[in-house]
Amino acid sequence: MIVRDVICPFCACLCDDLDVHVEDGRVTGVDNACDLGSHKFMTDHRMKGPVRRTASGWEEIPLEEAIRETAELLEAAERPLLYGWSGTCGEAQSAGVHLAELVGGVIDATTSVCHGPSILAIQEVGHPGCTLGQVKNRADVVVYWGCNPQHAHPRHLSRYTTYADGFFVRNAFKERKVIVADIRGTDSTNLADEFIRLQPGGDYAVLGALRAIVRGKGDVVPPEVAGVSREQLYRIADLCKTAKYGAFFFGMGLTQTAGKYKNIRNAIELVDELSRHTKWTLTPMRGHFNVYGFNEVCTWMTGYPYAVDFARGMAFYNPGETTAVDILARKECDMCLVVASDPAAHFPAEAVEHLASIPVVQLDPFPNLTTAFARIQIPVAVSGIDADGTAYRMDGVPLRLHRVLDRGYPDDAGILLEITRRITGGGSR
Amino acid sequence: MRVILTAGPRKNPFIPVEAETIVPARFLQGVDGITVAAGNRILPLTDVFLVEVEGTAADPSGVEVVLRGDNSRLKRIGEYMEAGKIRVEGNIGMHCGNFMKGGEIEILGGADGWLGREMRGGRILCHGNASHYCGSGYRGEKHGMRGGYLEVRGNAGDFAAEYLAGGEVVIRGDCGDMPGVEMKGGTLTIHGSCTRPCGNMTGGTCTVLGSARGMLPTFRRTGTVVHEPGGVILTRFEGDVANRGKGTLLAREWQYTL
Amino acid sequence: MTELLVKNAFVIDPLNGIRGEVMDIAVRDGWIVESVGDGAEVIDAAGCLTLPGGIDSHTHICGTKVNFGRYMMPEDMRAGRTQRRGVMHSTSGYSVPTTYGNSYRYCAMGYTSVLEGAMAPLEARHTHEEFAATPLQDTMANTLFDGNWPVMEAVRDGDVKRAAAIVAWTLAAVKGFAIKLTNPGGSECWGWGKNVHCIREMVPYFGVSPAEIIQTLIRANEMLRLPHSVHLHCNNLGVPGNYTCTIGSMDLAPDLNPDRQSLYLTHVQFHAYGGTSWKDICSKAEPVAYTVNRKPQITIDMGQMMFGKTTTMTADGPMEFNLYRLHHNKWSNHDVELETTSGIIPVYYSRTSVVNCVMWAIGLELALLVKNPWQCLLATDNPNGGPFIKYPEIIALLMSRRYREEELKTLAPGTHSRITLPSLDRELDWHDIAVMTRAGQARALGIRSIGKGHLAPGAEADIAIYPIRVDKTDPSRQYREVIQAFQKTAWTVKRGRPVARDGEILVPGVNKTIWARAKVREELDMGRDPEFARNFDRYYTVRMSNYPVQDVYLQRSLCMESEAQL
Repeated sequence: MIVRDVICPFCACLCDDLDVHVEDGRVTGVDNACDLGSHKFMTDHRMKGPVRRTASGWEEIPLEEAIRETAELLEAAERPLLYGWSGTCGEAQSAGVHLAELVGGVIDATTSVCHGPSILAIQEVGHPGCTLGQVKNRADVVVYWGCNPQHAHPRHLSRYTTYADGFFVRNAFKERKVIVADIRGTDSTNLADEFIRLQPGGDYAVLGALRAIVRGKGDVVPPEVAGVSREQLYRIADLCKTAKYGAFFFGMGLTQTAGKYKNIRNAIELVDELSRHTKWTLTPMRGHFNVYGFNEVCTWMTGYPYAVDFARGMAFYNPGETTAVDILARKECDMCLVVASDPAAHFPAEAVEHLASIPVVQLDPFPNLTTAFARIQIPVAVSGIDADGTAYRMDGVPLRLHRVLDRGYPDDAGILLEITRRITGGGSR
Repeated sequence: MRVILTAGPRKNPFIPVEAETIVPARFLQGVDGITVAAGNRILPLTDVFLVEVEGTAADPSGVEVVLRGDNSRLKRIGEYMEAGKIRVEGNIGMHCGNFMKGGEIEILGGADGWLGREMRGGRILCHGNASHYCGSGYRGEKHGMRGGYLEVRGNAGDFAAEYLAGGEVVIRGDCGDMPGVEMKGGTLTIHGSCTRPCGNMTGGTCTVLGSARGMLPTFRRTGTVVHEPGGVILTRFEGDVANRGKGTLLAREWQYTL
Repeated sequence: MTELLVKNAFVIDPLNGIRGEVMDIAVRDGWIVESVGDGAEVIDAAGCLTLPGGIDSHTHICGTKVNFGRYMMPEDMRAGRTQRRGVMHSTSGYSVPTTYGNSYRYCAMGYTSVLEGAMAPLEARHTHEEFAATPLQDTMANTLFDGNWPVMEAVRDGDVKRAAAIVAWTLAAVKGFAIKLTNPGGSECWGWGKNVHCIREMVPYFGVSPAEIIQTLIRANEMLRLPHSVHLHCNNLGVPGNYTCTIGSMDLAPDLNPDRQSLYLTHVQFHAYGGTSWKDICSKAEPVAYTVNRKPQITIDMGQMMFGKTTTMTADGPMEFNLYRLHHNKWSNHDVELETTSGIIPVYYSRTSVVNCVMWAIGLELALLVKNPWQCLLATDNPNGGPFIKYPEIIALLMSRRYREEELKTLAPGTHSRITLPSLDRELDWHDIAVMTRAGQARALGIRSIGKGHLAPGAEADIAIYPIRVDKTDPSRQYREVIQAFQKTAWTVKRGRPVARDGEILVPGVNKTIWARAKVREELDMGRDPEFARNFDRYYTVRMSNYPVQDVYLQRSLCMESEAQL
């Protein structure tokens, strides 16, 4: 059987043109996907059922018992942390936010270690954005800053930019100029018409200098800024100002380097400044396929996109204080529920150390590094493969993930709702 | 009236305690009914502190609250405080003195993040180091500290006096990255050194008496001034021109490289 | 079977000609009936003004743009937080509350149905997800067609049937309720950072004018026999001198429908400005209201502006950018491929600003100068003119000249010569208010037929019971009491169940979404049209098969079907 127009649950490009071949309840082939997406569909080593750690190793336990124990741990905790969420669908994220509210916990997503700074910047100056089709159909100048789409978002260029012909840009490869800013050469910088090679930590200064030049105040800019010559900066500014439609994409090379959200703010304000001359938009290159979905769900439910603390029965938000890494590093939380992510693989050592000292329950289809710290792990269906649900693309377009096969696993949302029901005693919520 | 709060031992000393109730005025009505939040549990103040009250006061300005023991996880004390005094004999947790309007807070140790956040008036003196966002604002808000006096005798972390809009911030030691970023008014004085001061500033005055590394390329040099006392010569900059800025940055030593 | 009896209610029910009678209202299984048995639950509404549930015919509460308003404004979120309590979730937000915040606050004010003013079809799924988290109101979504490429191509080709067919396919695909045109043509121009400035300017490449888009879609709308009319946000919003453009747009509307208007113009306050710049801006509510008075085919809503902090958010992207350049505050923009755009900025409307004072006066002037309350509905374009929690104040301003005079005293010097409000004596009565806040909306939206906006047997039992004695209150003098009464019902009844008591929410609730499907002949079904499908897959970045909103997104779904006459 071939399932057509399947949505890829790997990165936040959410390519929706995959043809997935399914035979005997297994994926046997994927057409149109990149290697990363294809690999996710083809991976098969799932855990069988819920397990609990004992002194002598893992024991298999019934789902019922795993849910009961998780509910008890959450209820007993004085500062539970509910973390992850980017690798599951909106329905599970929604159940997670309600659960966090119910148990007075902190809920945070992988956002806080990827594009959290982008959100903080947007909260200072806003976000001139667009859906990706605007870029495909109109853009004649594209900037990739601090990201390597060739590796992290392999089809971004073919679906939306360099190789994507559009309505007003009939031959994209010829008509579209590409500017790439990075601290080193990459496969993506090789494609650039202009490669801005800057010194590590120099993004803020370079973006500020560009703003000044676009404003006509370039005379204050010294001959070189963080390794970039003033001549090149003028050239770039001119290219940007004379574009018919410019699109600025950026990644973690900008969000996670010195200055963090201030870098993004400078990029946004550059785009604002350019908008006085011509059309410009900006889009963060979000990573996990539904990390933006968490931000959306969490925002309409709590008012804030991530890092929400319900300890006082209402939502409090302050990244740096209510973010998972900070809470773990300060040893604040006394229980952690990890859903659809792998903090042990990505968090700093001090945060992971604390994970080792508290009860951890993990909902994940696969064993990963966090499994080593888990007291209980409940394997679940993979969103977008054997579970359906909603995901939001990096530009905010919501799509319905397909369920291409049934492996008999429960989905995240179902388990979270069941945990909630246990805690409320089956009440009307 | 003197209220001495001595933090007792806690089963889990790492769980933060939110105590916006600890302001001098609140103690005029006695200790009964005052609660704090430890994680997601509401507790009577007396569960967390040994409380001793000496004397009486007619109004908040006659109340001094003294905090003893480990208060490094105690948040939001002195919130909206208008009068009286808080003296912390050790370290204090986040958001100490936020929205403070009057009175005085003295911290003998160090302060965690967001010391004097969105402060409106009064005085804060921190003898130790202050962490990030000292004298700053809240996420998304256009104005940080608007008035009052905030002094740190030690060092301050990153983003000190972010969005400073009024009042005075003095850091006797060094600052981390980006002090005075987005500042639009008020004065910030850094006796030590820092990196990348005053990005995007539109107003106010920042003085760096040590060295400013990673000086941003978008400030216009407009001469020198003599700083008193001491007659130190400072380079004067205006900016941030990336942002139509009309702020003043004075630095003894500066360099574009970090 | 569940039964409820609302006893001794002082009822105003304009759609049934009831102008104030003490009566009982019987309810069975969510519907109003002639009578119920002795076992029915009883609400004693003695001394309470009892109206059909409130309906907001233009508000922004759900979807991409609204959520981005929350996302970018933690400072607004912290300004309106409440704790989890009983069945109520915690809420955040002042001008752009969370979905629960919107739902609880509307419910406390007696509002039971709301229409989201702008939904981009490509992002419809998002709107429906938020509708599902707005549990205490029935919801509808205006669907944006202002910059729709296939529609503009059909307009250019003079093919009204094809335009209608595209609208029919899209509305059914995204489960939208009505055609919304926001700055028609302007959104496509904004794709290049430009704009159109009135109805006769041409949209580049597509070669159509806003006037042609408006006229074609008014005809298409009536051919499809949709419940609501075309819902227009005129070109040139917020620009001094724009009233001529507004009147020009009104003149485009023929009278095609005996049951309701043929063109709904929203937030007209923002479109009734005279002058040539911010320096000499003045009210042109008079000529605008005069035009409405002689055109029964037009209905407008006030778009009242109220002083204080709020957030502007519209599908009018270029206008938001101009506002940003004026205020230098944060600015978000979101262009949607082949369809539309939107923008958001926070604002503060100040009594010290002559411009803001003139805006405030214009909204009230419109409501007082339009003779027929059925043609001018009460709304703020929430949150653009102010958050909807200000409606009670607006009601009081309309009912009390004295209150208006008190407020006029506080305005910036120089305001009075630019407005006519001080000379207007009219004071609206309770019946007018009932029309402007529910009955008029039900008629304008075309939802009377499904039992909305009235209280006769056969109506859905959405009832708002306000704690105010109409016979003992002189609203002209006692405007404070009027405000208080409309802020918090004694009871709100939704679908036959008491859902709020003195502002406290009693049940979790389940949202219902109302949408429109016009059935067209097979050869006009765009789902089978090869050219439509080819261009779709070529220029959109989602596949046509992934575009329609699945049924699973609507917890309760009410589809209003019509037989198109194409």
